[in-house]
Amino acid sequence: MVICIIALVVFGIMGIFSAKYRQLAKEAFRCVFRMVQLKPCDTGFDQRIKSKLTTKLMKLPPVARFFYKNFKLISWTFTIVFFASMIYSLYGIYNLIAFGNCEPGSGSVCVISSGTNQLAGLVGLLTCYEAYIVYGIIIFVIIALLVVKYLNGKFEKKK
Amino acid sequence: MNVEKLRKDFPVLEKRINGKPIIYFDNACMSLRPKQVVDASNEYYFEYPGCAGRSAHEFGTKVTEKYDEARKEISKFIGARKKEEVVFTRNTTEGLNLVFNSLDLKKDDIIITADKEHNSVLVPIQVLKERKGVKHQIIFSKNDQFDLQKFQDSMNKQVKLVAMAHSTNLDGTTIPDKEIIKIAHDFGALVMFDAAQSVPHKEINVKNMDVDFLAFSGHKMLGPSGTGVLYGKYELLEQLNTFMVGGDTVLFTTYDSHAFLKPPEKFEAGLQNYAGAIGLAEAARYLDKVGRKNIEKHEEELNSIITDELSGIKELHLIGPKDPKLRGGIFSFFIEGMNVHEVALMLNNMNNVMIRSGQHCVHSWFRAHQLEGSDRVSLYLYNTKEELEIFVKTLREIMKLR
Repeated sequence: MVICIIALVVFGIMGIFSAKYRQLAKEAFRCVFRMVQLKPCDTGFDQRIKSKLTTKLMKLPPVARFFYKNFKLISWTFTIVFFASMIYSLYGIYNLIAFGNCEPGSGSVCVISSGTNQLAGLVGLLTCYEAYIVYGIIIFVIIALLVVKYLNGKFEKKK
Repeated sequence: MNVEKLRKDFPVLEKRINGKPIIYFDNACMSLRPKQVVDASNEYYFEYPGCAGRSAHEFGTKVTEKYDEARKEISKFIGARKKEEVVFTRNTTEGLNLVFNSLDLKKDDIIITADKEHNSVLVPIQVLKERKGVKHQIIFSKNDQFDLQKFQDSMNKQVKLVAMAHSTNLDGTTIPDKEIIKIAHDFGALVMFDAAQSVPHKEINVKNMDVDFLAFSGHKMLGPSGTGVLYGKYELLEQLNTFMVGGDTVLFTTYDSHAFLKPPEKFEAGLQNYAGAIGLAEAARYLDKVGRKNIEKHEEELNSIITDELSGIKELHLIGPKDPKLRGGIFSFFIEGMNVHEVALMLNNMNNVMIRSGQHCVHSWFRAHQLEGSDRVSLYLYNTKEELEIFVKTLREIMKLR
Protein backbone atom coordinates (compact mmCIF):
# COMPACT_ATOMS: atom_id res chain seq x y z
CA MET A 1 0.00 0.00 0.00
CA VAL A 2 2.84 2.41 0.81
CA ILE A 3 4.11 1.93 -2.74
CA CYS A 4 1.18 4.14 -3.73
CA ILE A 5 2.92 7.13 -2.11
CA ILE A 6 5.96 6.80 -4.38
CA ALA A 7 3.68 6.00 -7.31
CA LEU A 8 1.71 9.18 -6.61
CA VAL A 9 4.84 11.33 -6.74
CA VAL A 10 6.38 9.56 -9.75
CA PHE A 11 3.18 9.37 -11.78
CA GLY A 12 2.26 12.88 -10.66
CA ILE A 13 5.48 14.23 -12.16
CA MET A 14 5.12 12.05 -15.25
CA GLY A 15 1.53 13.20 -15.54
CA ILE A 16 2.71 16.77 -16.16
CA PHE A 17 4.18 15.61 -19.44
CA SER A 18 1.84 12.82 -20.49
CA ALA A 19 -1.90 12.32 -19.99
CA LYS A 20 -1.62 8.55 -19.74
CA TYR A 21 0.18 8.83 -16.40
CA ARG A 22 -2.45 11.18 -15.01
CA GLN A 23 -4.93 8.33 -14.66
CA LEU A 24 -2.32 6.28 -12.79
CA ALA A 25 -1.56 9.28 -10.59
CA LYS A 26 -5.27 9.64 -9.83
CA GLU A 27 -5.48 5.98 -8.85
CA ALA A 28 -2.40 6.33 -6.67
CA PHE A 29 -3.91 9.42 -5.06
CA ARG A 30 -7.12 7.56 -4.27
CA CYS A 31 -5.07 4.82 -2.70
CA VAL A 32 -3.02 7.28 -0.60
CA PHE A 33 -6.17 9.16 0.39
CA ARG A 34 -7.72 5.96 1.71
CA MET A 35 -4.45 5.09 3.42
CA VAL A 36 -4.43 8.31 5.43
CA GLN A 37 -7.98 7.51 6.48
CA LEU A 38 -6.63 4.16 7.73
CA LYS A 39 -8.72 2.33 5.16
CA PRO A 40 -7.36 -0.37 2.82
CA CYS A 41 -6.65 0.59 -0.78
CA ASP A 42 -9.67 -0.56 -2.79
CA THR A 43 -8.51 0.24 -6.29
CA GLY A 44 -6.24 -2.79 -6.63
CA PHE A 45 -3.52 -0.39 -7.71
CA ASP A 46 -0.92 -1.78 -5.32
CA GLN A 47 -1.77 -5.34 -6.38
CA ARG A 48 -1.38 -4.39 -10.02
CA ILE A 49 2.04 -2.87 -9.41
CA LYS A 50 3.15 -5.83 -7.32
CA SER A 51 1.91 -8.36 -9.89
CA LYS A 52 3.38 -6.50 -12.84
CA LEU A 53 6.80 -6.13 -11.24
CA THR A 54 6.82 -9.73 -9.99
CA THR A 55 5.95 -10.93 -13.49
CA LYS A 56 8.90 -8.97 -14.89
CA LEU A 57 11.17 -10.63 -12.37
CA MET A 58 9.92 -14.13 -13.10
CA LYS A 59 12.94 -14.77 -15.34
CA LEU A 60 14.92 -14.85 -12.10
CA PRO A 61 12.68 -16.97 -9.87
CA PRO A 62 14.57 -16.48 -6.57
CA VAL A 63 14.52 -12.70 -7.07
CA ALA A 64 10.85 -12.77 -8.02
CA ARG A 65 10.06 -14.88 -4.98
CA PHE A 66 12.02 -12.54 -2.69
CA PHE A 67 10.29 -9.52 -4.21
CA TYR A 68 6.82 -11.08 -3.97
CA LYS A 69 7.24 -12.24 -0.38
CA ASN A 70 8.89 -9.03 0.83
CA PHE A 71 6.95 -6.53 -1.23
CA LYS A 72 5.66 -4.69 1.82
CA LEU A 73 9.11 -4.39 3.34
CA ILE A 74 10.61 -3.27 0.02
CA SER A 75 7.82 -0.72 -0.37
CA TRP A 76 8.45 0.67 3.11
CA THR A 77 12.20 0.85 2.48
CA PHE A 78 11.73 2.74 -0.76
CA THR A 79 9.23 5.07 0.87
CA ILE A 80 11.49 5.87 3.84
CA VAL A 81 14.52 6.42 1.57
CA PHE A 82 12.38 8.59 -0.67
CA PHE A 83 11.19 10.81 2.19
CA ALA A 84 14.64 10.97 3.81
CA SER A 85 16.27 12.12 0.58
CA MET A 86 13.45 14.61 0.06
CA ILE A 87 13.94 16.10 3.53
CA TYR A 88 17.74 16.36 3.02
CA SER A 89 17.19 17.95 -0.37
CA LEU A 90 14.80 20.54 1.05
CA TYR A 91 17.28 21.24 3.84
CA GLY A 92 20.03 21.69 1.25
CA ILE A 93 17.89 24.00 -0.86
CA TYR A 94 17.02 26.06 2.21
CA ASN A 95 20.74 26.43 3.03
CA LEU A 96 21.48 27.35 -0.55
CA ILE A 97 18.87 30.13 -0.49
CA ALA A 98 19.70 31.34 3.03
CA PHE A 99 23.48 30.99 3.08
CA GLY A 100 24.52 30.55 -0.54
CA ASN A 101 25.80 27.00 0.06
CA CYS A 102 24.07 23.70 0.64
CA GLU A 103 26.28 22.91 3.62
CA PRO A 104 27.34 26.22 5.19
CA GLY A 105 29.36 24.62 7.99
CA SER A 106 31.49 22.68 5.56
CA GLY A 107 34.53 24.03 3.78
CA SER A 108 33.76 22.05 0.65
CA VAL A 109 31.94 23.48 -2.32
CA CYS A 110 28.46 22.31 -3.15
CA VAL A 111 27.54 21.10 -6.62
CA ILE A 112 24.52 23.35 -6.62
CA SER A 113 26.35 26.24 -5.03
CA SER A 114 25.14 29.67 -6.00
CA GLY A 115 28.77 30.74 -6.17
CA THR A 116 30.57 31.31 -9.41
CA ASN A 117 32.84 28.26 -9.32
CA GLN A 118 30.38 25.63 -10.60
CA LEU A 119 33.15 23.45 -11.98
CA ALA A 120 34.84 23.38 -8.59
CA GLY A 121 31.55 22.28 -7.12
CA LEU A 122 31.41 19.35 -9.52
CA VAL A 123 35.04 18.39 -8.79
CA GLY A 124 34.51 18.72 -5.09
CA LEU A 125 31.25 16.84 -4.95
CA LEU A 126 32.72 13.83 -3.16
CA THR A 127 32.99 15.93 -0.04
CA CYS A 128 29.54 17.50 -0.23
CA TYR A 129 26.61 15.45 1.00
CA GLU A 130 24.03 17.61 -0.76
CA ALA A 131 25.63 16.60 -4.00
CA TYR A 132 25.00 12.98 -3.09
CA ILE A 133 21.38 13.86 -2.56
CA VAL A 134 21.13 15.56 -5.92
CA TYR A 135 22.72 12.56 -7.59
CA GLY A 136 20.48 10.30 -5.54
CA ILE A 137 17.43 12.13 -6.80
CA ILE A 138 18.67 11.91 -10.38
CA ILE A 139 19.24 8.17 -9.99
CA PHE A 140 15.83 7.80 -8.35
CA VAL A 141 14.14 9.63 -11.23
CA ILE A 142 15.99 7.43 -13.75
CA ILE A 143 14.92 4.28 -11.89
CA ALA A 144 11.38 5.60 -11.65
CA LEU A 145 11.35 6.26 -15.37
CA LEU A 146 12.57 2.73 -16.03
CA VAL A 147 9.86 1.35 -13.76
CA VAL A 148 7.25 3.42 -15.55
CA LYS A 149 8.50 2.15 -18.87
CA TYR A 150 8.38 -1.40 -17.59
CA LEU A 151 4.86 -0.88 -16.27
CA ASN A 152 3.70 0.26 -19.65
CA GLY A 153 5.30 -2.62 -21.46
CA LYS A 154 7.69 -0.38 -23.36
CA PHE A 155 10.32 -3.05 -23.34
CA GLU A 156 8.07 -5.69 -24.80
CA LYS A 157 9.06 -6.70 -28.26
CA LYS A 158 6.41 -6.03 -30.83
CA LYS A 159 5.82 -9.21 -32.75
CA MET B 1 -17.60 -31.08 -32.00
CA ASN B 2 -14.66 -29.63 -33.91
CA VAL B 3 -13.21 -27.04 -31.54
CA GLU B 4 -10.46 -25.89 -33.90
CA LYS B 5 -13.03 -25.25 -36.63
CA LEU B 6 -15.46 -23.36 -34.46
CA ARG B 7 -12.67 -21.23 -32.96
CA LYS B 8 -12.35 -19.66 -36.40
CA ASP B 9 -15.81 -18.14 -35.84
CA PHE B 10 -14.41 -16.07 -32.97
CA PRO B 11 -12.15 -13.39 -34.47
CA VAL B 12 -10.98 -12.20 -31.06
CA LEU B 13 -9.24 -15.53 -30.50
CA GLU B 14 -6.80 -14.61 -33.27
CA LYS B 15 -5.71 -11.56 -31.29
CA ARG B 16 -2.19 -11.51 -29.87
CA ILE B 17 -1.12 -9.54 -26.81
CA ASN B 18 2.63 -9.14 -26.41
CA GLY B 19 3.04 -11.73 -29.14
CA LYS B 20 1.10 -14.39 -27.26
CA PRO B 21 -2.41 -15.71 -27.93
CA ILE B 22 -5.18 -14.91 -25.50
CA ILE B 23 -6.59 -17.63 -23.27
CA TYR B 24 -10.07 -16.66 -22.23
CA PHE B 25 -11.38 -18.46 -19.15
CA ASP B 26 -13.90 -15.89 -17.89
CA ASN B 27 -16.94 -17.25 -19.64
CA ALA B 28 -19.14 -17.33 -16.55
CA CYS B 29 -18.92 -13.55 -16.62
CA MET B 30 -19.04 -12.85 -20.32
CA SER B 31 -18.66 -15.15 -23.33
CA LEU B 32 -16.94 -14.26 -26.57
CA ARG B 33 -19.09 -13.74 -29.65
CA PRO B 34 -18.90 -15.54 -32.98
CA LYS B 35 -18.95 -13.38 -36.09
CA GLN B 36 -22.36 -14.80 -37.00
CA VAL B 37 -23.85 -13.06 -33.95
CA VAL B 38 -22.07 -9.78 -34.63
CA ASP B 39 -23.16 -9.92 -38.29
CA ALA B 40 -26.79 -10.60 -37.32
CA SER B 41 -26.82 -7.60 -34.97
CA ASN B 42 -25.07 -5.41 -37.53
CA GLU B 43 -27.59 -6.42 -40.18
CA TYR B 44 -30.25 -4.60 -38.18
CA TYR B 45 -28.21 -1.39 -38.15
CA PHE B 46 -27.23 -1.64 -41.80
CA GLU B 47 -30.40 -3.00 -43.37
CA TYR B 48 -33.55 -2.17 -41.39
CA PRO B 49 -32.82 0.17 -38.47
CA GLY B 50 -36.44 0.89 -37.59
CA CYS B 51 -38.66 0.27 -34.57
CA ALA B 52 -40.83 -2.80 -34.19
CA GLY B 53 -44.58 -2.96 -33.63
CA ARG B 54 -45.26 0.68 -34.44
CA SER B 55 -44.26 1.97 -37.83
CA ALA B 56 -45.87 0.59 -40.98
CA HIS B 57 -42.99 1.47 -43.31
CA GLU B 58 -40.52 -0.96 -44.84
CA PHE B 59 -37.98 -0.82 -42.00
CA GLY B 60 -40.70 -1.04 -39.35
CA THR B 61 -42.27 -4.09 -40.98
CA LYS B 62 -38.94 -5.84 -41.40
CA VAL B 63 -37.76 -5.27 -37.84
CA THR B 64 -41.16 -6.37 -36.46
CA GLU B 65 -40.80 -9.59 -38.42
CA LYS B 66 -37.19 -10.15 -37.30
CA TYR B 67 -37.96 -9.35 -33.64
CA ASP B 68 -40.83 -11.80 -33.71
CA GLU B 69 -38.58 -14.43 -35.31
CA ALA B 70 -36.03 -13.85 -32.55
CA ARG B 71 -38.67 -14.45 -29.89
CA LYS B 72 -39.74 -17.63 -31.67
CA GLU B 73 -36.13 -18.82 -31.88
CA ILE B 74 -35.54 -18.25 -28.17
CA SER B 75 -38.78 -20.02 -27.22
CA LYS B 76 -37.64 -23.00 -29.30
CA PHE B 77 -34.18 -22.82 -27.68
CA ILE B 78 -35.59 -23.28 -24.17
CA GLY B 79 -38.55 -25.47 -25.11
CA ALA B 80 -41.27 -22.97 -24.22
CA ARG B 81 -44.87 -23.73 -25.13
CA LYS B 82 -45.25 -20.53 -27.14
CA LYS B 83 -43.21 -17.51 -28.09
CA GLU B 84 -45.34 -15.21 -25.93
CA GLU B 85 -43.76 -16.83 -22.89
CA VAL B 86 -40.48 -15.13 -23.76
CA VAL B 87 -39.93 -11.61 -22.42
CA PHE B 88 -36.84 -9.80 -23.63
CA THR B 89 -34.89 -8.08 -20.87
CA ARG B 90 -31.48 -6.45 -20.50
CA ASN B 91 -30.03 -9.32 -18.49
CA THR B 92 -30.81 -11.99 -15.90
CA THR B 93 -30.94 -9.44 -13.09
CA GLU B 94 -33.72 -7.52 -14.80
CA GLY B 95 -35.71 -10.70 -15.40
CA LEU B 96 -35.41 -11.72 -11.76
CA ASN B 97 -36.29 -8.23 -10.52
CA LEU B 98 -39.32 -8.17 -12.77
CA VAL B 99 -40.73 -11.27 -11.09
CA PHE B 100 -39.75 -10.30 -7.53
CA ASN B 101 -41.41 -6.91 -7.96
CA SER B 102 -44.45 -8.02 -9.92
CA LEU B 103 -45.55 -10.97 -7.81
CA ASP B 104 -48.21 -10.15 -5.27
CA LEU B 105 -46.06 -10.92 -2.22
CA LYS B 106 -47.36 -9.94 1.20
CA LYS B 107 -46.00 -9.62 4.72
CA ASP B 108 -44.82 -12.95 6.17
CA ASP B 109 -44.82 -14.70 2.80
CA ILE B 110 -41.67 -16.81 2.60
CA ILE B 111 -39.12 -16.90 -0.21
CA ILE B 112 -36.69 -19.79 -0.15
CA THR B 113 -33.23 -19.67 -1.71
CA ALA B 114 -30.06 -21.74 -1.56
CA ASP B 115 -26.87 -20.51 0.13
CA LYS B 116 -24.81 -19.82 -3.00
CA GLU B 117 -27.05 -17.19 -4.52
CA HIS B 118 -25.80 -14.42 -6.76
CA ASN B 119 -26.59 -10.91 -5.55
CA SER B 120 -29.20 -10.72 -8.32
CA VAL B 121 -31.33 -13.12 -6.32
CA LEU B 122 -30.27 -12.16 -2.83
CA VAL B 123 -30.50 -8.37 -2.94
CA PRO B 124 -34.04 -8.07 -4.40
CA ILE B 125 -35.24 -10.42 -1.65
CA GLN B 126 -33.51 -8.34 1.01
CA VAL B 127 -35.20 -5.25 -0.40
CA LEU B 128 -38.57 -7.05 -0.35
CA LYS B 129 -37.90 -7.96 3.27
CA GLU B 130 -37.42 -4.30 4.13
CA ARG B 131 -40.29 -2.97 2.04
CA LYS B 132 -42.97 -5.63 2.32
CA GLY B 133 -41.96 -7.69 5.32
CA VAL B 134 -41.55 -10.95 3.42
CA LYS B 135 -39.41 -13.63 5.04
CA HIS B 136 -36.30 -15.16 3.56
CA GLN B 137 -35.25 -18.69 4.29
CA ILE B 138 -31.92 -20.13 3.18
CA ILE B 139 -31.18 -23.80 2.51
CA PHE B 140 -27.54 -24.39 3.41
CA SER B 141 -25.56 -26.88 1.35
CA LYS B 142 -24.50 -30.26 2.61
CA ASN B 143 -21.15 -31.53 1.31
CA ASP B 144 -21.07 -28.62 -1.14
CA GLN B 145 -24.34 -29.71 -2.73
CA PHE B 146 -27.96 -28.74 -2.41
CA ASP B 147 -29.63 -30.37 0.59
CA LEU B 148 -32.90 -31.62 -0.84
CA GLN B 149 -34.02 -33.16 2.44
CA LYS B 150 -33.59 -29.89 4.29
CA PHE B 151 -35.47 -28.14 1.52
CA GLN B 152 -38.36 -30.57 1.77
CA ASP B 153 -38.45 -30.14 5.54
CA SER B 154 -38.53 -26.35 5.15
CA MET B 155 -41.46 -26.26 2.78
CA ASN B 156 -44.88 -25.17 4.02
CA LYS B 157 -47.94 -23.34 2.73
CA GLN B 158 -46.45 -19.98 3.69
CA VAL B 159 -43.69 -20.40 1.10
CA LYS B 160 -44.79 -18.46 -1.97
CA LEU B 161 -41.64 -18.51 -4.04
CA VAL B 162 -38.56 -20.65 -4.43
CA ALA B 163 -35.87 -18.61 -6.18
CA MET B 164 -32.51 -20.21 -6.86
CA ALA B 165 -29.52 -20.28 -9.14
CA HIS B 166 -29.99 -23.27 -11.41
CA SER B 167 -26.20 -23.61 -11.69
CA THR B 168 -24.11 -21.39 -9.47
CA ASN B 169 -21.38 -19.16 -10.77
CA LEU B 170 -19.47 -19.82 -7.56
CA ASP B 171 -18.57 -23.47 -8.11
CA GLY B 172 -20.67 -24.63 -11.06
CA THR B 173 -22.90 -26.99 -9.10
CA THR B 174 -26.44 -27.51 -10.38
CA ILE B 175 -29.41 -27.98 -8.10
CA PRO B 176 -31.78 -30.96 -8.52
CA ASP B 177 -34.29 -28.93 -10.53
CA LYS B 178 -37.11 -31.39 -11.14
CA GLU B 179 -37.22 -32.54 -7.52
CA ILE B 180 -37.21 -28.97 -6.20
CA ILE B 181 -39.98 -27.94 -8.58
CA LYS B 182 -42.13 -30.93 -7.68
CA ILE B 183 -41.79 -30.35 -3.93
CA ALA B 184 -42.45 -26.61 -4.31
CA HIS B 185 -45.52 -27.16 -6.49
CA ASP B 186 -46.89 -29.70 -4.02
CA PHE B 187 -46.97 -26.87 -1.48
CA GLY B 188 -48.38 -24.38 -3.96
CA ALA B 189 -45.19 -22.34 -4.28
CA LEU B 190 -43.87 -20.90 -7.50
CA VAL B 191 -40.35 -21.64 -8.69
CA MET B 192 -37.99 -19.24 -10.41
CA PHE B 193 -34.51 -20.19 -11.58
CA ASP B 194 -31.59 -17.90 -12.24
CA ALA B 195 -30.37 -19.83 -15.26
CA ALA B 196 -27.57 -17.49 -16.30
CA GLN B 197 -25.01 -20.24 -15.80
CA SER B 198 -27.05 -23.17 -17.04
CA VAL B 199 -28.83 -22.13 -20.25
CA PRO B 200 -25.55 -21.41 -22.11
CA HIS B 201 -24.07 -24.77 -21.15
CA LYS B 202 -26.86 -27.32 -20.82
CA GLU B 203 -29.94 -28.36 -22.71
CA ILE B 204 -32.88 -26.79 -20.91
CA ASN B 205 -36.49 -27.59 -21.61
CA VAL B 206 -38.74 -25.42 -19.50
CA LYS B 207 -41.84 -27.39 -20.43
CA ASN B 208 -40.39 -30.72 -19.27
CA MET B 209 -38.83 -29.10 -16.25
CA ASP B 210 -42.14 -27.44 -15.34
CA VAL B 211 -40.38 -24.37 -13.96
CA ASP B 212 -42.59 -21.29 -13.53
CA PHE B 213 -40.04 -18.57 -14.28
CA LEU B 214 -36.54 -18.77 -15.67
CA ALA B 215 -34.19 -15.89 -16.38
CA PHE B 216 -30.93 -15.84 -18.32
CA SER B 217 -28.54 -13.46 -20.06
CA GLY B 218 -27.49 -13.20 -23.67
CA HIS B 219 -23.92 -12.14 -23.01
CA LYS B 220 -23.04 -15.43 -21.32
CA MET B 221 -24.33 -17.50 -24.27
CA LEU B 222 -22.45 -15.87 -27.17
CA GLY B 223 -25.12 -13.18 -27.50
CA PRO B 224 -24.77 -9.40 -27.48
CA SER B 225 -24.29 -7.44 -24.24
CA GLY B 226 -27.41 -5.93 -22.75
CA THR B 227 -29.65 -8.80 -23.75
CA GLY B 228 -31.52 -11.24 -21.57
CA VAL B 229 -34.67 -13.29 -21.35
CA LEU B 230 -37.32 -13.97 -18.80
CA TYR B 231 -39.35 -17.08 -19.45
CA GLY B 232 -42.66 -17.40 -17.62
CA LYS B 233 -45.63 -19.73 -17.96
CA TYR B 234 -48.12 -17.70 -19.94
CA GLU B 235 -50.93 -17.89 -17.40
CA LEU B 236 -48.52 -16.66 -14.71
CA LEU B 237 -47.24 -13.82 -16.87
CA GLU B 238 -50.85 -12.75 -17.38
CA GLN B 239 -51.37 -12.62 -13.62
CA LEU B 240 -48.17 -10.71 -12.85
CA ASN B 241 -48.37 -7.02 -12.12
CA THR B 242 -46.51 -4.74 -14.45
CA PHE B 243 -42.94 -3.74 -13.61
CA MET B 244 -41.79 -0.96 -15.92
CA VAL B 245 -44.58 0.76 -17.78
CA GLY B 246 -44.85 3.30 -20.56
CA GLY B 247 -44.51 3.18 -24.32
CA ASP B 248 -45.40 -0.12 -25.98
CA THR B 249 -46.83 -1.70 -22.82
CA VAL B 250 -50.31 -0.30 -23.39
CA LEU B 251 -53.09 -0.80 -25.89
CA PHE B 252 -54.36 2.72 -25.37
CA THR B 253 -54.48 5.50 -22.81
CA THR B 254 -56.88 8.31 -21.96
CA TYR B 255 -56.02 11.24 -19.70
CA ASP B 256 -57.04 9.21 -16.67
CA SER B 257 -56.86 5.53 -17.67
CA HIS B 258 -54.93 2.95 -19.65
CA ALA B 259 -55.28 -0.60 -20.90
CA PHE B 260 -52.26 -2.87 -20.86
CA LEU B 261 -51.25 -5.13 -23.69
CA LYS B 262 -50.98 -8.86 -23.12
CA PRO B 263 -47.65 -10.49 -22.21
CA PRO B 264 -44.91 -10.32 -23.29
CA GLU B 265 -45.49 -6.75 -24.55
CA LYS B 266 -46.84 -5.51 -21.24
CA PHE B 267 -43.40 -6.16 -19.74
CA GLU B 268 -41.31 -4.68 -22.54
CA ALA B 269 -41.50 -0.97 -21.90
CA GLY B 270 -40.07 1.49 -24.39
CA LEU B 271 -38.10 0.83 -27.54
CA GLN B 272 -36.33 -2.48 -27.29
CA ASN B 273 -32.80 -3.61 -28.09
CA TYR B 274 -33.79 -5.04 -31.48
CA ALA B 275 -30.24 -5.56 -32.70
CA GLY B 276 -29.49 -7.35 -29.42
CA ALA B 277 -32.54 -9.63 -29.63
CA ILE B 278 -31.76 -10.52 -33.24
CA GLY B 279 -28.13 -11.25 -32.29
CA LEU B 280 -29.30 -13.30 -29.31
CA ALA B 281 -31.49 -15.43 -31.56
CA GLU B 282 -28.47 -16.01 -33.79
CA ALA B 283 -26.45 -17.07 -30.72
CA ALA B 284 -29.20 -19.56 -29.84
CA ARG B 285 -29.10 -20.93 -33.38
CA TYR B 286 -25.32 -21.21 -33.17
CA LEU B 287 -25.45 -23.09 -29.86
CA ASP B 288 -28.14 -25.42 -31.16
CA LYS B 289 -26.02 -26.13 -34.22
CA VAL B 290 -23.02 -27.06 -32.07
CA GLY B 291 -25.28 -28.91 -29.63
CA ARG B 292 -25.45 -28.05 -25.96
CA LYS B 293 -24.93 -31.70 -25.00
CA ASN B 294 -21.62 -31.58 -26.87
CA ILE B 295 -20.70 -28.33 -25.14
CA GLU B 296 -21.51 -29.77 -21.72
CA LYS B 297 -19.42 -32.88 -22.45
CA HIS B 298 -16.52 -30.77 -23.73
CA GLU B 299 -16.52 -28.57 -20.63
CA GLU B 300 -16.64 -31.59 -18.35
CA GLU B 301 -13.67 -33.12 -20.14
CA LEU B 302 -11.66 -29.92 -19.80
CA ASN B 303 -12.64 -29.52 -16.17
CA SER B 304 -11.52 -33.09 -15.47
CA ILE B 305 -8.11 -32.25 -16.90
CA ILE B 306 -7.63 -29.20 -14.66
CA THR B 307 -8.94 -31.09 -11.66
CA ASP B 308 -6.55 -34.00 -12.28
CA GLU B 309 -3.61 -31.67 -12.79
CA LEU B 310 -4.20 -29.42 -9.81
CA SER B 311 -6.20 -31.28 -7.19
CA GLY B 312 -3.10 -32.99 -5.79
CA ILE B 313 -1.53 -29.69 -4.73
CA LYS B 314 -1.90 -29.30 -0.99
CA GLU B 315 -1.89 -25.50 -0.97
CA LEU B 316 -4.55 -25.22 -3.66
CA HIS B 317 -8.07 -25.33 -2.28
CA LEU B 318 -10.90 -26.14 -4.59
CA ILE B 319 -14.31 -24.57 -3.97
CA GLY B 320 -17.17 -26.97 -4.52
CA PRO B 321 -17.34 -30.73 -4.92
CA LYS B 322 -14.20 -32.62 -5.95
CA ASP B 323 -15.92 -34.43 -8.81
CA PRO B 324 -15.53 -32.21 -11.90
CA LYS B 325 -18.73 -33.63 -13.39
CA LEU B 326 -20.66 -31.85 -10.63
CA ARG B 327 -19.03 -28.52 -11.44
CA GLY B 328 -19.76 -28.21 -15.18
CA GLY B 329 -17.21 -25.84 -16.66
CA ILE B 330 -16.17 -24.11 -13.46
CA PHE B 331 -12.97 -24.57 -11.47
CA SER B 332 -12.95 -22.17 -8.55
CA PHE B 333 -9.96 -22.19 -6.22
CA PHE B 334 -7.66 -20.25 -3.95
CA ILE B 335 -4.02 -20.73 -3.03
CA GLU B 336 -2.98 -20.59 0.57
CA GLY B 337 -0.85 -17.54 1.28
CA MET B 338 -1.54 -15.84 -2.04
CA ASN B 339 -3.93 -13.05 -2.86
CA VAL B 340 -6.54 -14.17 -5.40
CA HIS B 341 -6.33 -10.92 -7.39
CA GLU B 342 -2.56 -11.10 -7.61
CA VAL B 343 -2.73 -14.66 -8.92
CA ALA B 344 -5.23 -13.61 -11.59
CA LEU B 345 -3.14 -10.56 -12.55
CA MET B 346 0.03 -12.61 -12.87
CA LEU B 347 -1.73 -15.23 -15.01
CA ASN B 348 -2.81 -12.39 -17.27
CA ASN B 349 0.59 -10.67 -17.29
CA MET B 350 2.59 -13.81 -17.94
CA ASN B 351 0.57 -15.62 -20.57
CA ASN B 352 -2.65 -13.68 -21.24
CA VAL B 353 -4.67 -16.18 -19.21
CA MET B 354 -7.86 -14.31 -18.35
CA ILE B 355 -9.69 -15.58 -15.30
CA ARG B 356 -11.94 -13.91 -12.74
CA SER B 357 -10.86 -13.25 -9.19
CA GLY B 358 -12.87 -12.04 -6.23
CA GLN B 359 -16.21 -12.97 -4.74
CA HIS B 360 -18.11 -13.28 -8.02
CA CYS B 361 -21.19 -11.43 -6.69
CA VAL B 362 -21.66 -14.16 -4.09
CA HIS B 363 -20.27 -12.06 -1.24
CA SER B 364 -22.66 -13.63 1.24
CA TRP B 365 -21.18 -17.09 0.81
CA PHE B 366 -17.56 -15.90 1.01
CA ARG B 367 -18.24 -13.78 4.06
CA ALA B 368 -20.01 -16.64 5.80
CA HIS B 369 -17.02 -18.88 5.06
CA GLN B 370 -14.52 -16.13 5.99
CA LEU B 371 -12.78 -16.35 2.64
CA GLU B 372 -11.24 -13.43 0.79
CA GLY B 373 -12.43 -14.75 -2.57
CA SER B 374 -11.42 -17.20 -5.23
CA ASP B 375 -9.84 -17.46 -8.64
CA ARG B 376 -12.37 -18.82 -11.08
CA VAL B 377 -11.70 -20.59 -14.34
CA SER B 378 -14.89 -20.86 -16.37
CA LEU B 379 -14.79 -22.78 -19.61
CA TYR B 380 -16.77 -22.77 -22.81
CA LEU B 381 -17.01 -24.42 -26.17
CA TYR B 382 -13.95 -22.72 -27.72
CA ASN B 383 -11.48 -23.57 -24.96
CA THR B 384 -8.86 -26.22 -25.67
CA LYS B 385 -6.62 -28.68 -23.86
CA GLU B 386 -3.58 -26.73 -25.06
CA GLU B 387 -4.91 -23.62 -23.34
CA LEU B 388 -5.36 -25.60 -20.14
CA GLU B 389 -1.77 -26.82 -20.33
CA ILE B 390 -0.53 -23.22 -20.51
CA PHE B 391 -2.78 -22.26 -17.61
CA VAL B 392 -1.60 -25.14 -15.42
CA LYS B 393 2.07 -24.49 -16.26
CA THR B 394 1.75 -20.77 -15.52
CA LEU B 395 -0.13 -21.37 -12.29
CA ARG B 396 2.56 -23.79 -11.13
CA GLU B 397 5.20 -21.13 -11.79
CA ILE B 398 3.18 -18.59 -9.82
CA MET B 399 2.79 -21.00 -6.95
CA LYS B 400 6.57 -21.17 -6.63
CA LEU B 401 6.43 -17.58 -5.36
CA ARG B 402 4.77 -18.73 -2.15
